[in-house]
Amino acid sequence: MVLVTGAAGQIAYSLLYSIGNGSVFGKDQPIILVLLDITPMMDVLDGVLMELQDCALPLLKDVIATDKEEVAFKDLDVAILVGSMPRREGMERKDLLKANVKIFKSQGAALDKYAKKSVKVIVVGNPANTNCLTASKSAPSIPKENFSCLTRLDHNRAKAQIALKLGVTANDVKNVIIWGNHSSTQYPDVNHAKVKLQGKEVGVYEALKDDSWLKGEFVTTVQQRGAAVIKARKLSSAMSAAKAICDHVRDIWFGTPEGEFVSMGVISDGNSYGVPDDLLYSFPVVIKNKTWKFVEGLPINDFSREKMDLTAKELTEEKETAFEFLSSA
Amino acid sequence: MSEPIRVLVTGAAGQIAYSLLYSIGNGSVFGKDQPIILVLLDITPMMDVLDGVLMELQDCALPLLKDVIATDKEEVAFKDLDVAILVGSMPRREGMERKDLLKANVKIFKSQGAALDKYAKKSVKVIVVGNPANTNCLTASKSAPSIPKENFSCLTRLDHNRAKAQIALKLGVTANDVKNVIIWGNHSSTQYPDVNHAKVKLQGKEVGVYEALKDDSWLKGEFVTTVQQRGAAVIKARKLSSAMSAAKAICDHVRDIWFGTPEGEFVSMGVISDGNSYGVPDDLLYSFPVVIKNKTWKFVEGLPINDFSREKMDLTAKELTEEKETAFEFLSSA
Repeated sequence: MVLVTGAAGQIAYSLLYSIGNGSVFGKDQPIILVLLDITPMMDVLDGVLMELQDCALPLLKDVIATDKEEVAFKDLDVAILVGSMPRREGMERKDLLKANVKIFKSQGAALDKYAKKSVKVIVVGNPANTNCLTASKSAPSIPKENFSCLTRLDHNRAKAQIALKLGVTANDVKNVIIWGNHSSTQYPDVNHAKVKLQGKEVGVYEALKDDSWLKGEFVTTVQQRGAAVIKARKLSSAMSAAKAICDHVRDIWFGTPEGEFVSMGVISDGNSYGVPDDLLYSFPVVIKNKTWKFVEGLPINDFSREKMDLTAKELTEEKETAFEFLSSA
Repeated sequence: MSEPIRVLVTGAAGQIAYSLLYSIGNGSVFGKDQPIILVLLDITPMMDVLDGVLMELQDCALPLLKDVIATDKEEVAFKDLDVAILVGSMPRREGMERKDLLKANVKIFKSQGAALDKYAKKSVKVIVVGNPANTNCLTASKSAPSIPKENFSCLTRLDHNRAKAQIALKLGVTANDVKNVIIWGNHSSTQYPDVNHAKVKLQGKEVGVYEALKDDSWLKGEFVTTVQQRGAAVIKARKLSSAMSAAKAICDHVRDIWFGTPEGEFVSMGVISDGNSYGVPDDLLYSFPVVIKNKTWKFVEGLPINDFSREKMDLTAKELTEEKETAFEFLSSA
C-alpha cells in the first residue's frame, strides 16, 4: 500500500503514472495506491483517479482517493508526503514553519496510529528536512531510520551540471553529494565524485581542472536551479522532482548499485562528520535490504567543512523555531 | 548502442508534452537501447517556458537523451526526422465557431506538412494528436505528397484505452485483461466504441465481452456515451485536460508502430481509409482496427458488422467528410 499526499497537485500528477507502471517498485509488484488531499480538492482528485483508470495500468490493483487521514494512513508500506503548505506572498518564514508543523505533526501521529511499523516515509513537501523531523518526532513507535527527505533532485541537478560541463551524459557521473538542508544553504560537493571519460573513471575535480567553477558557479547554479525553472516555466519543477522521488524510493526498495552512493536527508544520529545529532540532514548513503547506512570516512577539506556547518546551523535554527510550535500545534 | 533517432514533439511547452517527454526520454517508447535526439517545437511566445522544460529534462539525467533541441523554427524542427509527434494545435476559444477552428488549424498543419515534405526523412512516421486530430492529420498528409500516406496516423488510442478501462471496471478485472476493442471514425463525440469483437480474460478463460457482460443495452448505450464524453468529464473534474492519460496513449500508439502489435491483438489508429473493406469512403482519415508489423500497419479484415455498428460507423464517416470539405475550402488560401 502506497500513499501519496498532495495527490491533486503538480508533482503528484507527474509522479503517479511512474509509480503505477512499475518503474519504482518493479514490474512484478502490484500496488494499492492511496491518494490524499484536502477536502476542497476532492473533485480534482476524482479527475486524477479517472485518468489513472484510463491509463490501464496492470499493476494498480486499486486506487483510493480520500481526504481522511484514518483512511489514507491505514496499513501503509510506503508514504510519500508531497503535500505541504506552500509559501504565499507576504508570508514570513515563521508562519510557513508554523503551518507545516501542524500538518506534519498530524500526519506523523496518523502514521504512528494506522500505518505498519515497517512503513518507509519519504518527505518531499517543503521545508522537507524540518517537516520530516516533525513527522518522525510525532511517530515515536516508528524507527527514526524509516524517515527520509528528498535531496535527490539537487543530487540529480548536480550530476546534470557536471555532465553538461564535461559533455557526457549524467549517467556517467556518480558519487556527487548533497550535504544538509534542501534549501539555498545546501552544499553540492563533488570532491568524491567520479566521471567516466573515454572509458576510464576519473575524479571530477581532476577531470574539470576548474576548482573555482566547482566551488563557485557550480554550487550556486545547483542551489538556485529550482528558482531558475520556476522563472522560466512559471510553475515549479514537477517533472524532475517526480523523477527524483522515483530514484529515491527505488533505491530504498532495491538498494544502491555497487560502488555508488546517493544523497538522502536522514536522521543525523551517529554520523562521523561532525554534524550535530538529532537533525534531519542530507548525507551520502548506501542502501541494502531497505536499510541505509552513512558512507563513512570521506575526507572533508576546510571549504567543505565551512559549508557543511553553515547548513547545519540553518537546520538547527529551523528545528528550534518549528518546535516552539510543536506542543501547541 | 544504435544510431540516435530524431524525434520531434510540437506543442512542446504545453500540458500533454510535459507528461509525455519523460516517457520518451526514459526508453519506454523506443526501447532501452535506442538513443534519442529530442526536438521540441513551440511558438515564439513560449520559448522561455520551453527553456524551463529543457532544464528539467537535463535534471532528469536520462541516459538515452543524447541531445535536446528547443526551437520555434520549422526548418530546425523538421530536419531529418524519424518520428514527428504533432501535439500542438490551435485550441478552441470561447465564441469560436467550428469553421474558425478548422481554418486556423489547416494553416498550421499545411505548413507543418510542407516542412515534413521538405526537411524530414521520407521514412518519417507522423502521429497527429492536436485536435481536430483526424482532419489535421489529413491536411498534413496532403501537404506532404512525397511522404507515403501510410506514414501518417492520428491518435484514437486514448479513446481505445478508455473503452478498455470502462469494460474492465464493469467486470472487475484490470484493463490489461480486455483486448480488441475498436474505436471507429473521428476522435470526436461521433466516435464509435465497438466491443462486438472484444475479449476479456475471466478466471483464466477468454470470453467475448458481450457474452461476459450480458448487458447489451449498457454496451450500446451508457458505455458508448461514457467513452465519448470521458474527455469532458476529466476536464470538468480537473479543470485541465487529460494530459497524463493522453501521454500514456501516445506512448502506446508510437510503441506499437515501432515494435508491432502483440500476436492475436489489434489496436485502434486513425489512418487513411483507402482500400478498406468496411464501406468507409476512401480518402478520409478514419480510425480503424489495425495490426502492425515492421513499422507498417494493416487493416484487420473481415470483422462482421451488424446494423447498429453500421449506423454508427456511417455517422462518424459523414462528420469526417463534412469536416474535410470545410477544411479544404481553406487549404488553397492557407
